[in-house]
Amino acid sequence: MSSTSSINLKDQFLNGIIKENTIFKLALSLCPSIAVTNNLKNGIFMGLAVLFVQTMVNITISLMRKIIQPKVRLPIFMLVISGWVTITQMLMAAFVPDVYAKVGLYIALIVAFASILARAEMFASKNSIIPSMVDGLGMGVGFLFALTVISFFRELVGKGTLTVPTGLSTQHVFTFINTKPVLIMVLPAGGFLAVGILMALFNWIDIRYMKRGAVSH
Amino acid sequence: MESEFIKYFELIISASLINNFVFTRFLGLCIFFGVSKKMETAVGMSITFTAVMMISAALSWVVFNKVMDPLGITFLEIIVFIGIIAGIVQASDTIMRKVSPGLYYKLGIYLALISTNCIILAVPLVSVGEKYSFLQSLAFGLGSGLGFGLALIIMASIREKLELADVPAAFKGLPMAFVITGLIALAFTGFSGLITL
Amino acid sequence: MEATKKEQLIVSVSPHVRSDETTSRIMWTVSIALMPAMLAGVYFFGLKGLFITALCIISCMASEWWYLRMVGKKPVVGDGSAFLTGLLLGMNMPASLWSFSPFTVHVPVIASFVAMVITKQLFGGLGFNVFNPALIGRAFALLSWPKAMTIWNEPAVAFFAMDAKTSATPLGILKEEGVARLIEVFGDKMNLYVHLLTGNRAGSIGEVSAIAILIGGLFLLYKKYITWHIPVSFLASAAVMAYVFGGKDPATGKMILMAGDPVIHLLSGGMMLGAWFMATDYVTSPSVRNGQILFGIGCGILTMIIRLKGGFPEGVMFAILIMNCFAPLIDRSFKAKVFGAVKQEKAKENK
Repeated sequence: MSSTSSINLKDQFLNGIIKENTIFKLALSLCPSIAVTNNLKNGIFMGLAVLFVQTMVNITISLMRKIIQPKVRLPIFMLVISGWVTITQMLMAAFVPDVYAKVGLYIALIVAFASILARAEMFASKNSIIPSMVDGLGMGVGFLFALTVISFFRELVGKGTLTVPTGLSTQHVFTFINTKPVLIMVLPAGGFLAVGILMALFNWIDIRYMKRGAVSH
Repeated sequence: MESEFIKYFELIISASLINNFVFTRFLGLCIFFGVSKKMETAVGMSITFTAVMMISAALSWVVFNKVMDPLGITFLEIIVFIGIIAGIVQASDTIMRKVSPGLYYKLGIYLALISTNCIILAVPLVSVGEKYSFLQSLAFGLGSGLGFGLALIIMASIREKLELADVPAAFKGLPMAFVITGLIALAFTGFSGLITL
Repeated sequence: MEATKKEQLIVSVSPHVRSDETTSRIMWTVSIALMPAMLAGVYFFGLKGLFITALCIISCMASEWWYLRMVGKKPVVGDGSAFLTGLLLGMNMPASLWSFSPFTVHVPVIASFVAMVITKQLFGGLGFNVFNPALIGRAFALLSWPKAMTIWNEPAVAFFAMDAKTSATPLGILKEEGVARLIEVFGDKMNLYVHLLTGNRAGSIGEVSAIAILIGGLFLLYKKYITWHIPVSFLASAAVMAYVFGGKDPATGKMILMAGDPVIHLLSGGMMLGAWFMATDYVTSPSVRNGQILFGIGCGILTMIIRLKGGFPEGVMFAILIMNCFAPLIDRSFKAKVFGAVKQEKAKENK
């Protein structure tokens, strides 16, 4: 799929969102899917950070792919990833300090994301810059989509509100239910339950409408 | 001296049970779900993990406090810690293969998995953030390793019990693993507030 | 019916049926054994207690029926297991939930759904659930609606009263204000014991009357539906913990060793109900005798750790749930070695 000369950019973009959705389909990089998703705003910014890192790493690796020695490629990939993560960390600390205070640790841990390393290894190191960028964008948007869905569900059910960011430092809190409906959903235990139920829902849609087997991991 | 000892003990209990990395900080989930299908692998992973965790906690403390802090390059912590961990994993891989091939045969494959685990990176990051002393970081590393091992072993025993169970198709595999983890986390909520450090 | 049943190959995990008793007969007998405690609850909390318990039973049966129909299985809800779960769940709820402003009647309904569908059916139905469904239902409710779940009615002994006074539970007073204040509230120590024993105190509907629960528990023991291992090791280890670590210097608040009052701890909270009816659940406790003793000791110690040092006044529910996590592991390690099993394991390693 990756080494063909004519890559359909649209398919490559959609691949990361639907067929190989990092969280719902590949079940990789799960930590932030629970850690930061008890608030829609945090979920969205975490997703954006991953989107940024994934795209920039793919571009960098693609640019460097001709000069990297295959033997030392993994340490170099790790170095590139941690470099971009450090930059993201600094940008977020500067521009969205309130979000960074909550999700800072998980931003740092983007380094250990198997999905980012996997895209660098499997795709960006073998393809030219434009397809690599599109691939990174697709994977990142897929991640952003998953985090948005989970945090939408958890904040709405757990607190009855939705915190929608309207700018870097502004936000609007929509209140749907005045009392806290099912508080457990914003607690750790509820996070696992919510992700489990949403994953099952995606599987169910798959089984029901796509006539494909469930993802067993 | 005795109260010092109790402090370290509390730190270990807190890191392993109360603030268990899997159940309350949601870290290491990929490995947690990946290797908890069989008891044998879960036990192997726990042992390897705890050992590597302690070594990396100790080494990162030394490097951060004795090298990076004096040089004023603490902002490079992520890159340096990742390098330390990769180095430890590579070194223990080589040493184990030479010294104890039997052990290497059993635990070697887990070593390779460890370098992509986020807990192993989170432990030095948290210890640095909390400004732990050397012994405290060591205790924190031990507690986190034990907690992760405990979580893995519980999870493996539960998943073995469910092997024959009639789990609904959409929930088979990962979604069910998430639900089980959620319920364990619910039970472990009982530990909250036990030790306030 | 019996003959055809014997010919079928039934694959199930432990506990395998140990006698001719059918599942439904066990369930109904345990439900009958709970009746004294239930009647005591209705006596002290009136119709509200009865309504909440009935609501839990109906919701549990309805959830199970709905789920089984949805996945295309034969909806069997008459085997008594949904009834028993609903009964236990209701007995673990405060009577104050029967209130329409603020509206809290949805709490037992959602807790029942969580108990039956998420805790039992998703795991593959009866015999496979790892956690006690009633306790997960209650823990879910406690963490989701912490305020509503901790409003305790004062026992009123007024059957139709709908506006009962609220009061703190003995364990709540013990945690917040100490044992001296607890004795002061009830007059003297003897009076406190009598109140705890009969059930004339604030608490969940079915947990208040220690004596009524004990009657039911001994009935099950006599009928050999449960064995002594879990309840005795549970209560004994909790009593030892309470005696050794339960003492507190009223002036400084520091712990004094060997000065606790085990009687208060044994008779208050959900200790009795938990030890006799929740921890002994066949499916979620170990089936090996030694394992059961370890399970009971674990429950007792964890309960007292949470009560004495934890963030919650009551620890029975969390202690049993935590030990539920360990039950498959305990069963696994205490399982009798089958002849030749070691060899097989080695053969697997060599492959």
